[in-house]
Amino acid sequence: MSTHNTPPTQSAGGVLLASLILPGLATLVAIAPTSAAAETAPEKSTIAVKYGRYSDSQPGWDRIKATAPQVYVQAPIAGDWSIEASAVADNVSGATPYAHTQRSGASGGGKIGMSDERRAGDVKITRHMARSALSASVAYSTEHDYKSTAVGLDARWSTEDNNRTWALGVGASSDTIDNTASGINTAINEHKNTHEIMGGVTQVLTPTDIVQFNLTRGVGSGYFNDPYKSYDLRPNQRDTWIALARWNHYLEPFDASLRTSYRYYDDTFGVQSHTVGLDWVQPVGKLTVTPGMRYYSQTAANFYFDPVLTAQGQYDALGTLMRVVGLKGFKSADQRLAAFGAVTLSMKVAYAITPDTVVDLKVETYRQSADLYLSGKGSPGLDPFNAQFVQIGLTHRF
Amino acid sequence: MQRWRTLRFDFQAMASPCSIQLDGQDEPAMRHAAAQAIAEVQRIEHKYSRYREDSIVSRINQSAGGAAVDVDAETADLLVFADSLWHLSDGLFDITSGVLRRAWDFRAARLPEPVALQSLLTGVGWDKVERKGSTVRLLQAGMELDFGGFGKEYAADRAAAVLHGHGMRHALVNLGGDLHALGARALPGLQDTAWQIEIQHPRPDTASGKSSLAVLALQQGGLATSGDYERFFIHDGRRYCHVLNPRTGWPVTHWQSVSVLAANTTTAGALTTIAMLKEADALDWLNTQGVRYLAMRHDGQLLQH
Repeated sequence: MSTHNTPPTQSAGGVLLASLILPGLATLVAIAPTSAAAETAPEKSTIAVKYGRYSDSQPGWDRIKATAPQVYVQAPIAGDWSIEASAVADNVSGATPYAHTQRSGASGGGKIGMSDERRAGDVKITRHMARSALSASVAYSTEHDYKSTAVGLDARWSTEDNNRTWALGVGASSDTIDNTASGINTAINEHKNTHEIMGGVTQVLTPTDIVQFNLTRGVGSGYFNDPYKSYDLRPNQRDTWIALARWNHYLEPFDASLRTSYRYYDDTFGVQSHTVGLDWVQPVGKLTVTPGMRYYSQTAANFYFDPVLTAQGQYDALGTLMRVVGLKGFKSADQRLAAFGAVTLSMKVAYAITPDTVVDLKVETYRQSADLYLSGKGSPGLDPFNAQFVQIGLTHRF
Repeated sequence: MQRWRTLRFDFQAMASPCSIQLDGQDEPAMRHAAAQAIAEVQRIEHKYSRYREDSIVSRINQSAGGAAVDVDAETADLLVFADSLWHLSDGLFDITSGVLRRAWDFRAARLPEPVALQSLLTGVGWDKVERKGSTVRLLQAGMELDFGGFGKEYAADRAAAVLHGHGMRHALVNLGGDLHALGARALPGLQDTAWQIEIQHPRPDTASGKSSLAVLALQQGGLATSGDYERFFIHDGRRYCHVLNPRTGWPVTHWQSVSVLAANTTTAGALTTIAMLKEADALDWLNTQGVRYLAMRHDGQLLQH
């Protein structure tokens, strides 16, 4: 079809004129400096395009950009279209970004499903200043047996040269657990309150090194039991410390990036854990190879009780029950409170078969078991847990 | 006078991440205006959802093949707009085409049975919708209206109108990538500069992490983007996206992404959808609409006006 056989209703800017019948829209157009004339684009929004080249000389640094506290730089940009400017964009225009949507499965296609499924209430407000930003958030969610309200305050500010960013955050949440509605009645109007404070700094050390350090302190009190487990009685206080350190280093001789991280966790239940992560991002021509590994180990909570095993090493249900009944004080058989270790190995390969066809393959294998516990044997009677994850992607332009 | 500040409100609506940003001096007034604008978005979502049994759209659809349904003035206006779009696009923008998505299972990545598609196509056609006064009637049983094709864009404009009505002159509304800018920035040092909008790259480079096609300076008006990357599957090396031609029932293939800048978001959104549907004729047609656009063709060629 060509523009010649279109109906006579098609005048210049016909769609815009048609939209003016909608309530309120005529007012908006009237205030626009260019009005409803043919040249409807804003005067200052000229278009110029640069594309196709990523000028970052340090490939593989995208990850740290994503994880570092995001500095909201509002430096005005002279040019109108620019690839590098993406980091200071105020907003993103695209087809609906489903990847960032909490619940997106409702509509089976179409431009966008107008869905009712949304979080009960979740509003975040951010105030931006020249080199800093302050955010406040409120969230409320409810399920049939669980209600949660959380508030948070975050501040971040960066130095004149943008090489250092400080971050400070505080948060509080208040939960109510009540399963009387489902007739179980093991938790009746129980409450839990937690308070958290986080401080962090991200520092560009050299053109090839970025480090980050975060420290989080949490204080929680109230009902921590699992109301759906028998013999689950936990302390009503759980205080936590979390320390996180990252270092990303670009190795010029290899044209590769090394991403490392270490996380330490400690709480008053007696659980301590260490997580170490390593990724090597290696571009080789059209190929990018990213091998990675992560190791995790945690101690058991003080009140975790081991199951009783038979001489053959089988789970002895009756023996375990007898032991539990005799236990005084706090107790839990929750495997997440046991001593164990875990290893994740991953490999991602992206390859451009032709300039138009890119294949990427990611393979990940996860193993969790008592034997992987940092200092020898972990909790007895735990079933090892293995998981494999394979993802193949194909992008073809035609 | 108080100092200038920027407030940003993030919220979730219409299954999308949304935000409102305001530059201003009177913080309580800014908060109040934003709350009213968010309420307006929620009102529209609620009213035109096809998932709510009590929504006006559900009432119209439930009466398909039966009696005419009386509609309120706002809905009647939206139907007039839908009618204009149908005429202006040579029948390509058709709000009865939503039923076609029943044939396309994007999760299973399966091509539809031709028979299934054919039978659904018999229920597609704006010419099978009868409007008389304030009533509307779908002539065939099984027909459905879907306002999803412009509901989010209309909500962005309405939210901007609410902000404007509350005296806001420096604001940016973003509903899942459909944007309305209400005047330039006003922070000291940023006075009269435009809002910087990143255009999502339809084929982001996973190796370099480059996910943006370009950045657009938007000061006043609407910006919307349509693409073949929002929901799609690849079968035998071909991409099948969710933008379906209402005549054939098959996905369009000519454009990876089309962004349009217009005086309001409703117009920008309708134009970007119609451009996707017009395929090779899209740019000739967009040029008749007097708007700016940035489009990436199937072969990666970037075209702009």
